Amino acid sequence: MYTRPLARLIEELQRLPGIGSKTAQRLALHLINRPAGEIEALAKALLEAKQTVRHCSICFNWSAEDPCEICRSPQRDPSLWCVVADVKDLMAMERTREFKGLYHVLGGLISPMNGIGVDQLHIRELVARVAREKPQELIFAISPSVEGEVTMHVVKDYLKPVAPTLRMTRLAFGLPMGSELEYADEVTLARALEARQEL
Amino acid sequence: MPLPKCWWAGPAEYPNSRPETFRDPCIFVYLRSLHLRHFRNYRDQGITFDAPKTILVGENAQGKTNLLEAVELLATLRSRRASRDRELVYQEEHQAQIAATVERLGVAHELVMELRSSGRRSLKVDGHVLRRQADFLGQVNAVVFSSLDLELVRGAPEARRNWLDGVLLQLEPVYLGLVEQYRQILKQRNALLKQDPKDSVPLTQATAGDQLPQMAFWDAQLATTGSRIMRRRARLLQRLQPLAAHWHRVISGGRETLTLTYRPQVPLPDPQASPAVIQAQFLAEIRTKAAAEHSLGSSLVGPHRDEVELCINGVAARAYGSQGQQRTLVLALKLAELELIEQVVRDPPLLLLDDVLAELDLHRQNQLLEAIQERVQTLVTTTHLGSFDAGWLKAAQILQVQGGQLFPDKTGDGIP
Ligand SMILES: Nc1ncnc2c1ncn2[C@@H]1O[C@H](COP(=O)(O)OP(=O)(O)OP(=O)(O)O)[C@@H](O)[C@H]1O
Ligand SMILES: [Mg+2]
Ligand SMILES: [Zn+2]
Repeated sequence: MYTRPLARLIEELQRLPGIGSKTAQRLALHLINRPAGEIEALAKALLEAKQTVRHCSICFNWSAEDPCEICRSPQRDPSLWCVVADVKDLMAMERTREFKGLYHVLGGLISPMNGIGVDQLHIRELVARVAREKPQELIFAISPSVEGEVTMHVVKDYLKPVAPTLRMTRLAFGLPMGSELEYADEVTLARALEARQEL
Repeated sequence: MPLPKCWWAGPAEYPNSRPETFRDPCIFVYLRSLHLRHFRNYRDQGITFDAPKTILVGENAQGKTNLLEAVELLATLRSRRASRDRELVYQEEHQAQIAATVERLGVAHELVMELRSSGRRSLKVDGHVLRRQADFLGQVNAVVFSSLDLELVRGAPEARRNWLDGVLLQLEPVYLGLVEQYRQILKQRNALLKQDPKDSVPLTQATAGDQLPQMAFWDAQLATTGSRIMRRRARLLQRLQPLAAHWHRVISGGRETLTLTYRPQVPLPDPQASPAVIQAQFLAEIRTKAAAEHSLGSSLVGPHRDEVELCINGVAARAYGSQGQQRTLVLALKLAELELIEQVVRDPPLLLLDDVLAELDLHRQNQLLEAIQERVQTLVTTTHLGSFDAGWLKAAQILQVQGGQLFPDKTGDGIP
């Protein structure tokens, strides 16, 4: 039996995603071995992040300032928006350094099984924002899944009355660059075949 | 017995009745060896297959079916007996391993499947861990015929759907993705049917100007994916029908005509209809069943409710038909499956006969033997050799199965 405070630390760590009881023990024993200053810095970072990071009130990105850095940047093209399910996907798009527009984070995908519908996501906010700011194009960067598919179509259906001329596009399915055709899985290859392009 | 490089009979011994499928026997895929560790009631047992036919003899509950199940898992990634991997792992152990050597074009490949009671699997081919399970499909193909398959005739439609899906999975790798996608759409759609009536009102009640109810989009997903499944099933049945009818005629001595008819829950105007036509039909069907779906809270329309009708001389085989006739029918279906896989994959699949051979009369045993000849590597289980036709025992490798261990047969090399 671990002494009480240590046992409690293990319990807390175990609630984190992807951390089982073995990893939690290892982490706890590691932390307890570190100098007090280091632990204080970690605790402070945790608290500070929690206290200062908020959803951007425009795009729902996480940010210490409101609006977020992207929404405030004069370098970004306000006529082109990218709609993503969550901030992880936003970051993936940012890492390409190719997308110069703005974002809208939905906060998840529609999933009746998990009780997530239109009202649990930032869909109505997107509709209001589009009506107000009138972008020219929305790019849906949503992972291919049945939930992603339904979410895209629902959002499109909500946007049509307020922006009949808005262009809405989605990312193409294709083969990863640098990959060899013969190693592509059948589903990816079949999708790429369906979405083939004129040469 | 020293292993010849190629243990199939040479070309001269093949009758020329099937020239299109005849090829150099050395290019056939075959299962050279199998090693089971902590799998079911096996602790650690290896086996080398050194004849085209292997007969596993043993009393009840010794591990005969377990061995075939291991091969079935390699071929299809699923077992029809186990619902969870935990059941496949030797009691009190955490991990089981099925290792196999498969020869293709004379080159040996190592397949390894690790099963854990936690449910996590890992698959290796030639030492490389596969990232996607689906990549393992096609390494070994197998047709399984066990007493469970009599459900194909007698059982609920689900048994026949599972059979169709099992064949499609071996023939069309994309099918696995389609089936999983369809299952997910059904789960979500059923969840929606059970909740918020605002989101799930049927399409016809949506008032103009409003947003469409969410259900409309799930309907569209169901219809798109569902009609793809239907088209593939319809196509498969078209290809199986003449083969099954042929084998049934042969086995029944030309007296009976077998017909397989696809009866999709969404009626197909014609099997070659375009996807758009099928989807429109699908959505129309959903509208007619909308009220019932809402009161039941579950999806009533789609290929999860398809049926395949089996008729002998125009009469439903389920109602009509002696046990022997039903067995003949299942055998014809299995031979059709085998032949189709062979045509498409260009290699005959393994044939796994669990308990059923001894239950066929000598005439049917002979027909089966003639159909598969030496081309098809076959694993047979039985509790007694007595009722086997001599043709089956000749040149077969016979092994005794006892309490999860294999022993060479000592009862005179199987020749009675
Ligand atoms: N996970 C497991 N661990 C240990 N033993 C198991 C496990 N699963 C099944 N068994 C045992 O395996 C035996 C059944 O083996 P199997 O089904 O292969 O029998 P069989 O030889 O085909 O018999 P039959 O002739 O009755 O069909 C039973 O004794 C069962 O208790
Ligand atoms: Mg058995
Ligand atoms: Zn922002």
